[in-house]
Amino acid sequence: MTEVILHKPFARLRFTRGARIWTVAIVLALSAVFIPAVWAQKEVTSKTYRSREREKSTGRYEQYEAKPRLYQPHIRDPRPRAELITLAPTAEKVRFRKYLADSHVGLRFYERRTCVSCHPQQARSLHAVRAKITCRQCHGDEPIAGNSHYNSLMHKRRKYAFVCAKCHKGSSPSFATYRIHEPSPLSLTTQKTFPVLFYAFWFMVVLAVGTFAAFIPHTLSWGLREFLPPTFRLEIRRYLPGKKKNNAAD
Amino acid sequence: MLLKRFNRTQRLSHLFLMLTFLIQSGTGFGRLFITTDFGRSLCKIFGGYEAAIVIHFWVGILMMTGFTVHIVYLIKRIKRRDLVNSVMGPDSLVPGPQDAQHLFQRILWTMGMGSPPKLDRWAYWEKFDYWAVFWGLPLLAVTGVMLKFPLLTTQVLPGWTLNIAALLHRAEAILAASFIFIVHFFIGHIRPLSFPMNEAMFSGSVHLEEAMQEKPLWVERLKQEGKLEMMKAERPALWYRALYFVFGYSALGFGLYILINGIVYGRFIQLH
Repeated sequence: MTEVILHKPFARLRFTRGARIWTVAIVLALSAVFIPAVWAQKEVTSKTYRSREREKSTGRYEQYEAKPRLYQPHIRDPRPRAELITLAPTAEKVRFRKYLADSHVGLRFYERRTCVSCHPQQARSLHAVRAKITCRQCHGDEPIAGNSHYNSLMHKRRKYAFVCAKCHKGSSPSFATYRIHEPSPLSLTTQKTFPVLFYAFWFMVVLAVGTFAAFIPHTLSWGLREFLPPTFRLEIRRYLPGKKKNNAAD
Repeated sequence: MLLKRFNRTQRLSHLFLMLTFLIQSGTGFGRLFITTDFGRSLCKIFGGYEAAIVIHFWVGILMMTGFTVHIVYLIKRIKRRDLVNSVMGPDSLVPGPQDAQHLFQRILWTMGMGSPPKLDRWAYWEKFDYWAVFWGLPLLAVTGVMLKFPLLTTQVLPGWTLNIAALLHRAEAILAASFIFIVHFFIGHIRPLSFPMNEAMFSGSVHLEEAMQEKPLWVERLKQEGKLEMMKAERPALWYRALYFVFGYSALGFGLYILINGIVYGRFIQLH
């Protein structure tokens, strides 16, 4: 009985083919509007959600993370005021940015760049290559303060606690003096910035080159010599000037 | 006739060093080259990147234990009553001025001038091989422990010493492995008089003719001291020969695999 009552009003309705198509289309259109809205009811914003989704899938931070905030950060150090203007690319290289609250302020097209597009050597560190640590995991969010700015997590006073200790629990200020982005020991500037590394590298190079320069020719020539008969003699005197050739001996 | 050249302890020491060295090379180079296919396949043999470092560390401990035991063995072998002869004599591996002379004679001989050096029990290249371990192993051990325990290390040393430790550990490992896989293997296996293999370190004996050719002073000394008959050795069993040939060539193959791939993939790694 219940079924009949419920279906009675609808039994009189007769849908034409066009009406059916329109009904389905409207339902789909409403779904397109409302269902994603329902899906988006998360505890985070859609931007953060996308960010986390990408992190989960690749384990890496991508370009979108390099975008700075919309407002200019407050700069405490009066010296680099000129940085607020947009600089030419050549001028950017010579500016002293390590005391800035936003070390990238004023850089042209910063929003469209990745960290490694300007710092390619930094991506070759052991932390990046082996542990897949991304720039942001240590240097933090935008604005990225210069390493010597008091806001920076990378400041030497707090780096060991706020950055190193994330993975190396119990790290000390001494531990934080490990150079993650080592300079190339081949570079002459390393002789001034990290002399022990420079001299250690060249010591090992000299040791290796010396060992192989002595032993490889020695060993190879010895091996080749053993192919010759034991009676083989290089009669060097014959070739010296002032000596006559001994034809009988030939 | 076969002459006894190495006793059982010496052969076991060599076998121990050989096995631990190969494992350390496999695990160490596997991790060093982990960003390449070569490194990944090498690490796979040892159970992966993380397992490789565990093996590397414990085999390193084993290696250093063996090294310490060897030093105790050396100290015990020194005869206090005949100290000078024991340390500097012809049966000692301590280098002397005659080694420089032998090296010079060898160079002249390879160029077709003069006769080959008349060597005693230990040749200059054997002494170099032996003593290279004495600087290599402690350096690798100290830097390895520093890298394994960075937090403890930086309680007594500044953190930047870890950069130096990593550089020295890698460079010394590459130097040692290259030397063994190129020079030591060539002298032991490839050169015509040793080919297909210098069996002395496995069988413990050498043919008298071979000894007379390579170490004439040693044979002469044994004759003068009347010890030649005492030094006679038995021919090793066929199965044992087959075993060490297979083992020796496996080690050679493994070494060459690391060496060739190390050269091919060398541009993808950095020392520091």
